[in-house]
Amino acid sequence: MHKPLDGLFLSTREHIDEEEQRIVNTVRQWADREILAKRLTYLEHYEQEFAGKRGMLLMEIGLQRLALSEENGGFGWNSKASAPCLAAVLMEIGRADAATAYMSALQFTTILASGADGTSPIDTLISRFYSTDKPVNPALILPGPGSQDEQTPLFFGRSINARLVHEGDSAILFGKNMRPAGCGALADHFCVVCADSAGKPWIAFVPADAQGIQRGNILQETGLNACANADITFQHVRLPREATLEGKETVEGLYLWLNLFLGATSVGAAMNFFEIVYDWANTRTIKGGSLMKENPLCASVLADVAEEIAIARFLTDDLARLIAMTASPNGPELQNVYTFAQIVGYRVQQGAMRAVNRGLELMGSAGYAREWHAEKHWRDIKTIQSYLCGVGAEVPVKMDTARFFFDCREI
Amino acid sequence: MKSIDDFSRPEEYISPLDKHFRSVVRAWVDKDVMPHRREYDEDWKEHTLIEPAFDNLMANRGLGIQKALFPADLGGWGLGQSDYAFTIACTLAEEVGRADTAMAVAFMVTYWPLTTILVEPHVNRRLAAEFAPMFCKSDKAVFAALAMTEPQGGADIENMELLGGKTIKTTARLDGDEWIINGHKLWPTNTGGVGQLFGVPCTTRPGSTDPNDFALIFVPADMKGVTQGGPYEKAGMAADKNGDLWFEDVRVPNWYRAHGPGKDAQVFKEIIPWGLVGSMGFLVGAMMNLYEVLYEFVSTRTYGNRPLKENDAIAGLIGRIAGDIEVCRILAYEGARIGDRRNRPYGHPLYSEEVLAKLRNLKDFVCDRAVENFGRAMDVLGVYGPDRQYDIEKHWRDIKIIQLWMGGKQLCQMEAARYFYNCKTL
Repeated sequence: MHKPLDGLFLSTREHIDEEEQRIVNTVRQWADREILAKRLTYLEHYEQEFAGKRGMLLMEIGLQRLALSEENGGFGWNSKASAPCLAAVLMEIGRADAATAYMSALQFTTILASGADGTSPIDTLISRFYSTDKPVNPALILPGPGSQDEQTPLFFGRSINARLVHEGDSAILFGKNMRPAGCGALADHFCVVCADSAGKPWIAFVPADAQGIQRGNILQETGLNACANADITFQHVRLPREATLEGKETVEGLYLWLNLFLGATSVGAAMNFFEIVYDWANTRTIKGGSLMKENPLCASVLADVAEEIAIARFLTDDLARLIAMTASPNGPELQNVYTFAQIVGYRVQQGAMRAVNRGLELMGSAGYAREWHAEKHWRDIKTIQSYLCGVGAEVPVKMDTARFFFDCREI
Repeated sequence: MKSIDDFSRPEEYISPLDKHFRSVVRAWVDKDVMPHRREYDEDWKEHTLIEPAFDNLMANRGLGIQKALFPADLGGWGLGQSDYAFTIACTLAEEVGRADTAMAVAFMVTYWPLTTILVEPHVNRRLAAEFAPMFCKSDKAVFAALAMTEPQGGADIENMELLGGKTIKTTARLDGDEWIINGHKLWPTNTGGVGQLFGVPCTTRPGSTDPNDFALIFVPADMKGVTQGGPYEKAGMAADKNGDLWFEDVRVPNWYRAHGPGKDAQVFKEIIPWGLVGSMGFLVGAMMNLYEVLYEFVSTRTYGNRPLKENDAIAGLIGRIAGDIEVCRILAYEGARIGDRRNRPYGHPLYSEEVLAKLRNLKDFVCDRAVENFGRAMDVLGVYGPDRQYDIEKHWRDIKIIQLWMGGKQLCQMEAARYFYNCKTL
């Protein structure tokens, strides 16, 4: 692969200034030197091997403090204006390893969704989570499938399975066998969408060492193997009231950031998949000697791969710009942006997945072998896509979209 | 719950033996595979869990199904002489594929090279008698492999219509009454250390497109000069071991060649339909299990506080999945019947362009639907989709390779275009 990816997959990045670009470049160097150049040595137990590399990224390069406010000792990328640079950073990490990027995406999401402004109690609390000298792992528990025998509060049709009860200055969290979107087994803190007795949505930020938290067994999941997952039970977990945020808009904000950051993660992984397919198509021959990429049918498949990734990157960059240009974090335009984030988030994951599925068709068995690393991207992106769906495939997003564009009232 | 057996198939095509085969194999699946299949991924190298299950299916101490194709007088069941051989193969592929497509492919590929010498009208009695004891008298599962793919060619060997075998690098040279074989093969199912008999496509004149120069030669794994590498680590399909296979001055008797000049090329083309029908059976079986898991999930989990299946939009989606399974099952059995019509006045030989094109077309279609539907089903399960406990993700990982193997999607498209549009240069 001799062409730079940025020259191939054009993007609109005027919102990233020189200093921010330097950080993006530093992360790219980390990806190239620490992961991509040594990939074959990581074939076995990479999830353990990568822990050290992730530590380097978060602590030595300092990404753990990237989205924290300057007042709390961070880089100050804690506003909507930072959306493009945070997305760009995640693409670089995702290109190296989607699981590492996924964990950073969750971190950025929890910080940005809290509306961190550098002065509020919630900002101080979240900053404390991340102001340590070791990598911190967050986990998200989102609305999702409900159970047949239970009526739950809903977030646009998705069941909110955790309950929040207020007692004076405290809030008490309940929830049985909650399924996080990854990282449940190793989380240092949880960001939980829950509902009060009136059914109103809240977000609770819960340190993993709080009393009353039980973790289930480690789950075996399709991809993102470094993000070991487990079900979580919250049994009367007492939290300070400032560890909770109220309102449907807050949850919409959470999804907005999540769609952007997971989109960037999958685009990054898909771009590395592109590099793998590029090398493959440039070296493999078919039909007794013709270069694969020069065959029109194979070329059309390769075009599909590139096209899907290019569009996914465009959409992700545009969503980042849209968020950056939105005036108020909780203003009336939020629902517009929320809907667009849902649409774009769904489309980006779908596009990244299709790119990999198509590319694998040309790689044959090599695409399926661990040695080539293509299959890891395939599993990782699929895992992200399913997590982000939450339940019911694309239907919840379709309902959000129809509700917004057609004023549906009952769906 | 509706039964998986409620998915349609053309009943008038079905073998009288189908009911018995199906019930026996399903009982084995439910007892020996279903309780353990979630642990198979970690067993990919050693097959500690997988091997005993294979023994119970294939070997004499179990169901003994590995001897099915051999003539009855040689200790087999005589299915090679059955008018329903393809249809029964589809049934077996479906039943085992429902639990684990990798197990299904591993056990059925054992038949694959043997079809060239055991299935009417090409029975080679001498070779059948030679290899019958290996399969019919063993108390252990015995695996055979068809060693096609080579490092340089990808799917070129399967592409006999266009290339006529000219890219084959594995050579067979006659020396007295022995063949001397040299070459390197990649990825055959049932290698990686488990293969005991290999069907090896070779050339007797490198670069030739003359069908007379194509040789299909049987090579027992214990012959001097045969080396099997260890199994590859893959995204899934743990029960199917694949590896490198080297032949270095391997000597076998000259009568280990399947049939001889010209006929070998023909029977090799006839192998492809078996693989295509088997592939469809694996996929349909897996999709039937998808239905079982999905049924439970959409009935017990909710969206908008109603069961998922009672939401019109989600119903539209899962309805499409069930509809696809229905169509794919019908197509798979139609494909099997195309194979079983080979000896009928209204049928076509297995090596004919018509059979190859139509079966590749069907396989391509069923693969596309399976890949799409497993991906979609994982998303229906959402945050539970990637969880191995729900079984769909394992099938999702496993079935992708069925789309990729035997030349993959693009070769299917080319075969269809050649046949339906009379393309001359593809």
